[in-house]
Amino acid sequence: MKHLEQSRIALLAGGELGRVERWLAQRHIARCAECRAEFAGFCLAANDLRELAEVMPELPNNLNWNRLSQEITGNVRVGLAAGEAIALFDKPAPSKPRFGWNAALVILGATLVFGIAFWTSLPPQQAEHLLASLKRIRTERIGTVIRSSAATPEEAVVEASSSGIQVKENGRTLSLMQPRSDGATVSISMQGSAGVRFVDADTGQVTTNKVYYAEQ
Amino acid sequence: MRSSSVLLASVLALLPLNSVVLAAALPKIDFPADSPVDLLSADYGESNESARGGALLLDFHAALSLRNAGQRKIRGITLVVSAQDVTPGGKGSVTITSLDVGPQETFPVRIDLRLLRPLQASSSVPVQIGLDGVLFDDLSFYGPDKLSSRRTMALAEWEARRDRRYFKSVLASGGPERLRQEMLESLTHQADRPSLDVQVVRGGRATNFEPEKQLQFAFLHLPDSPVEPVDGMARIAGNEARAPRLEVKNRSERAIRYLEVGWIVHDQTGRDFLAGSVPAELNLAPGQQSRIFENATLKFPQLGSQPLSIESMTGFVSSVEFADGTLWIPTRGDLDSPQLQRVMAPSDEEQRLARIYRKKGLAALVAELNKF
Repeated sequence: MKHLEQSRIALLAGGELGRVERWLAQRHIARCAECRAEFAGFCLAANDLRELAEVMPELPNNLNWNRLSQEITGNVRVGLAAGEAIALFDKPAPSKPRFGWNAALVILGATLVFGIAFWTSLPPQQAEHLLASLKRIRTERIGTVIRSSAATPEEAVVEASSSGIQVKENGRTLSLMQPRSDGATVSISMQGSAGVRFVDADTGQVTTNKVYYAEQ
Repeated sequence: MRSSSVLLASVLALLPLNSVVLAAALPKIDFPADSPVDLLSADYGESNESARGGALLLDFHAALSLRNAGQRKIRGITLVVSAQDVTPGGKGSVTITSLDVGPQETFPVRIDLRLLRPLQASSSVPVQIGLDGVLFDDLSFYGPDKLSSRRTMALAEWEARRDRRYFKSVLASGGPERLRQEMLESLTHQADRPSLDVQVVRGGRATNFEPEKQLQFAFLHLPDSPVEPVDGMARIAGNEARAPRLEVKNRSERAIRYLEVGWIVHDQTGRDFLAGSVPAELNLAPGQQSRIFENATLKFPQLGSQPLSIESMTGFVSSVEFADGTLWIPTRGDLDSPQLQRVMAPSDEEQRLARIYRKKGLAALVAELNKF
């Protein structure tokens, strides 16, 4: 009997398969003990993570979150690379599938332990940032295997300085510069606009330049 | 919409052959058919386009000549500028206030725009210029008002009237010499005022390196203000301030539909800066209390070698719009409080009058005051 792909079992455990695929996978698992065991392992791991997330204690304030983010990124990438290497090694010897499963379980376990180590020392306000980093990695590295929504578009940033005001979006910029003037007054609105007021040195006119977010 | 394509074609024909502006970069200027202003001419003489590494930089300078095609005097105008291909999520506006343009008279509008986009992006950069609104001397308004330019220009006009009244009273009570003294003080104040570069980002924190703390607002209570700030706080992390929450009470007898709270920050060295404002569209009945929340983050860059660290914050009500469309702004007396004096710039009108005094002398200033 042909076994289900590991990624498909993981998606099923996470409730991320579509209706038809879910029905087909469940039908197979009902008849295949090996896949059923694999599925149970994924379900347990997911439950453990959920429980751990609920009882997360506070972390010391002086942790370097940037470094932690880089470390977890690096470790997940190493894990993925190892998985790919093992999968290649495993290919010519289909008669020994247990080796591949064991290796995958070891990697999964190591990742789980690593994740637990971080989760247990993660203050709630940092959880969002870490989850966002993991989501980005997932989208970049294995986005074709695990379905993911498109990456969030870059946030529009509005800036005001005495030389001009600008709105930046996806590496593109629209700036309104101030011409020669007798001093400028910069203002920022929390609703997402920046302004600069000045008296034009040539025309003597009171001019206010502003840039806005789209929703304004 | 009335297209100015014929005019643009003539402008194109007049452009020198060696002009560095691509035809595709010339803007599309559209005013509504019943617009009270006409476009007479447009000059893009100093505009140019250049490559900067992997990006293309378009420096766009437009000198427009507009004519008052209506029957009322124009006090202000707002043009909206957008470049959908460059920043689909953002746009700009250019507002001219303190105008005194009679029927059939012309006036200039300058637009200095810079667009930066990747080289590989599409070759055309269609810049659109449109009309958002025109304010007349009777405070009536024309235009789509998508950028709330009616309120912006009306507030500027109220400030201008307040300050002209003040300087006229100075002239009447103290004579030209007292007016001269006021102008010199104003010019000194303009030069002394601290300025600060600021970024605003929608949503949460821009960085996660600094521990976050919650800071309460202190409030400046202006005696005549129809709104009383009751409570307020924001989350502070190093040089970032985010998610301000304010509680305000309408202590007037009229309903309020808009208010703005000015936000002063004090840094670790004791300096004060006007960081920004928290505007709110709301429906606040007399005596009613309401909460204002903005999910945005202010970020202040380094000042020299030292990063700015916010130690405390002060808020004050800087403008109010009642449900009937009338406005409230602080009085000159309110603005004389030492804390506001340190951070607030003189009004646009005061700066304009000070410039007339500096460039043309006291007689020209007196003549200007007597025009209104």
